[in-house]
Amino acid sequence: METMSLLMNGFAVALTPESIMFAVIGAILGTLIGALPGLGPANGVAILIPLAFSLGLSPTSSLILLTSVYAGAMYGGRISSILLNIPGDEPAMMTCLDGYPMALKGKAAEALAISAIASFIGSFIATIGLVILAPILSKFALKFGPSEYFALFVLAFATLGGVTGKNQVKTVMAAAIGLMISTVGIDISTGVQRYTFNMLELFEGVDFIIAIVGLFAISELFFFLERHAGDGLKQVAINKLKLTARDILNVLPTSIRGGILGFIAGVLPGAGASLGSFISYSLEKKISDKGEFGKGDPRGVAAPESGNNGAASGALVPMLTLGVPGSGTTAVLLAMLISLNISPGPMLFTQNPDLVWGVIAAMFVGNFVLLLLNIPMVGIFVKLLSVPPKYLMPVVTLIASVGIYSVSHSPTDLYFMVAFGVLGYILRKVDIPLVPVILGLLLGPEMEKSLRHALVLSDGDWSVLFNSGLSIGLWTVAILGLVLPLIVGPIVRSKMRKSKDSVQDD
Amino acid sequence: MRINDRVFGLLMLILAVAYGWGAMQFPIPFGGQESVGPETFPIILSVVMSISAIYMMVKPDPDEKWSPVPMLIELIVVALSILLFAWAIEPIGFIPAATFVVSFLSWRMGANFVKSLITGVVSSVIIFFLFNNVLELALPLGLLEL
Repeated sequence: METMSLLMNGFAVALTPESIMFAVIGAILGTLIGALPGLGPANGVAILIPLAFSLGLSPTSSLILLTSVYAGAMYGGRISSILLNIPGDEPAMMTCLDGYPMALKGKAAEALAISAIASFIGSFIATIGLVILAPILSKFALKFGPSEYFALFVLAFATLGGVTGKNQVKTVMAAAIGLMISTVGIDISTGVQRYTFNMLELFEGVDFIIAIVGLFAISELFFFLERHAGDGLKQVAINKLKLTARDILNVLPTSIRGGILGFIAGVLPGAGASLGSFISYSLEKKISDKGEFGKGDPRGVAAPESGNNGAASGALVPMLTLGVPGSGTTAVLLAMLISLNISPGPMLFTQNPDLVWGVIAAMFVGNFVLLLLNIPMVGIFVKLLSVPPKYLMPVVTLIASVGIYSVSHSPTDLYFMVAFGVLGYILRKVDIPLVPVILGLLLGPEMEKSLRHALVLSDGDWSVLFNSGLSIGLWTVAILGLVLPLIVGPIVRSKMRKSKDSVQDD
Repeated sequence: MRINDRVFGLLMLILAVAYGWGAMQFPIPFGGQESVGPETFPIILSVVMSISAIYMMVKPDPDEKWSPVPMLIELIVVALSILLFAWAIEPIGFIPAATFVVSFLSWRMGANFVKSLITGVVSSVIIFFLFNNVLELALPLGLLEL
C-alpha cells in the first residue's frame, strides 16, 4: 500500500511537537474566527496568511496552521447558528433549523456537543475520502495538457456560483474583474508592461493577499458600520451538559451518512458545502419515521453539521490535486500555497509528498484536537462570542492591517487594501459575488499561461482548445455548470427557504 | 428601482472597452509577433466583460438599498481614517496611529468615548509588543522613540 506508507510518513511530520503546536493554535484561532459573527472562514484564513508569511514559517507549518484554522472555523460556525440563530455562512443555515430550537428548549450545551461530534465524524470520513481519492485524481490529472487545463479553469469559474447560484452573469462578471486585475503588471513571458500606468508599485502586479483582506475583511467592516450591528445580538444562555452515550449513538448513523454525502458534494464542482448540508438534512428528514425535525431534533443538528464539514474537507480534493478550488475558503488556501511558492496540481503529490501527506495527517490530528477542545472548552468560545463587535471588529481590522504591513513594510499596500475594501463594498451592494473575483486574481496567470502553451503547441490554431475528448468533456461540464443553475437553482433555493420558513412559523 | 445594475453595468462596459483598447496599444514584444501576444488574453476578457455588462444593463436585478447620504459620508470618513493610519505608521509611530484608528472605529460603531479609547490603547500596545518581542516583526516606534 503506497498510500498507507505515505500517510504514515505524513503522520511522522504531523506528530512532531512543532506541528502539533501549530495544529492546536490553528484549531483555537479557527474556532474563534468561526464563532465571531461576521468573520467567515475565508476571512479568517485570509487575515492569517500574511502573518504566517512574514513570520517565515516553513510551508508545512503554515499549511498545517491554516488548514487547522480552516477546520476550526467550520466547527466554530455552528456556535452562532445554535446560540444566535444566525448562520455564520450559508452552509451553516441548515444547522439553525434544529440547533436554535434545541437551544431554546434549554439544551444548548447538548446541541453544541452533538454538533461537535457530528462535525468530527463528518471531517473524519471526508479526510479518509481525501486520502483515497486524491492520489487517484492526481494521477489522472497528469494526463492534462495545457488545453485541458484551460478548459478546467473555465469550468472552475462556470461552476463557482454553484447550483444554488443566483445570477450566473454576475458570477462571470466577477471572474472577469478578477482576471482583469490579474493581468496588471509586467507580462511574465514577453516582458511587456500591462496596465501599470508607469507606477512602480504596479510592476509586480496586484498582491492577491492584499486584495483578499481588503475585499473580505475591510468591506465587512463597512457593512457592520452601516447596519449599526456594533452591539451584537442576544444569545441563548447555555446550560450544563448532560450527554449520555445513548444520545451519541443515536446521532451516529446520521453523522456517518451526512459525512459521506457532504464529501461527495464537496468534491463535485459546483455543489459545495451549502448543498452538502442541505442534502444530508433533507435525507435524514426523509429516512427518519418519527422525528421532530425543525423543532430541535438532535439528528437535525448532526446531519447538516457532518455534511457541512464533510464538504469542507472534500473541497480540498480538487484544490490539492488540480489546483482548482471549489469554494471561497479553499480559494484562500490556494492563495496561501501560491504565496509560499508551491503550485498545487498533480505535480504536488509527486514533488512535495511530505507536504501533502503531512497536511492530510495534520487534518486528522487537527480534528481530534478540535473535538477535545470543543466539548469541554465550548463555554470559553461562547463567552468570546458575547464580546460586542464594536470592540472586536476594530481590533480585527488592526490585526489584518498589521499583517499586510508586516509583509513589505509599505503603507502603499495598506492604501491598496482600503481601495479593495471600498471595491468589495460596492460589489456586494450590486450583488456581485466576491469569491470569483479572488479566484480570477489567483488563477489568472496560470490560465493565461495554459492558453499560451496550448496555442504555441498548435501553432496558433484555436481549435486545439477543443480537440481532445477530455477537454470537450470539461467544456461540456462548464457549460452545464452555467446553464443548470438557471433551472435547478430556484427549485433548491425555494426548498431551503421553505424548510426554514416552516420552522419559523411553528 | 433597478438603477444599480444599469449604472454598474454601464461603468463595467466603459471599463471593458477601455481595457480592451489598452490591450491593443501594447507594444509588440521583443522577438516579434507570436500567436498569443500579451494582448490576446486581455482582449478575450474585454469581450466577456462587455457581454456580461450589456446583459446586466438589459436585465438588471432589483436594487439593494443604498444607505442615506450621511451614512455614506461616514463610511468615507472611516475609509479615510484607515488611510490616515496607514500613512501615520512610519512618521508618527505604530502605537499612536493604531490607538487612533481602533478608538475611532469602535467609537463609530457605537461604543462610548472612554471605552473605545481604552480598547484602542490596550489593543495597540498589546499588538505592538506581541509583534516586536514575541513574533520579532519590527513595527516602527515613530515619535515614541525618543
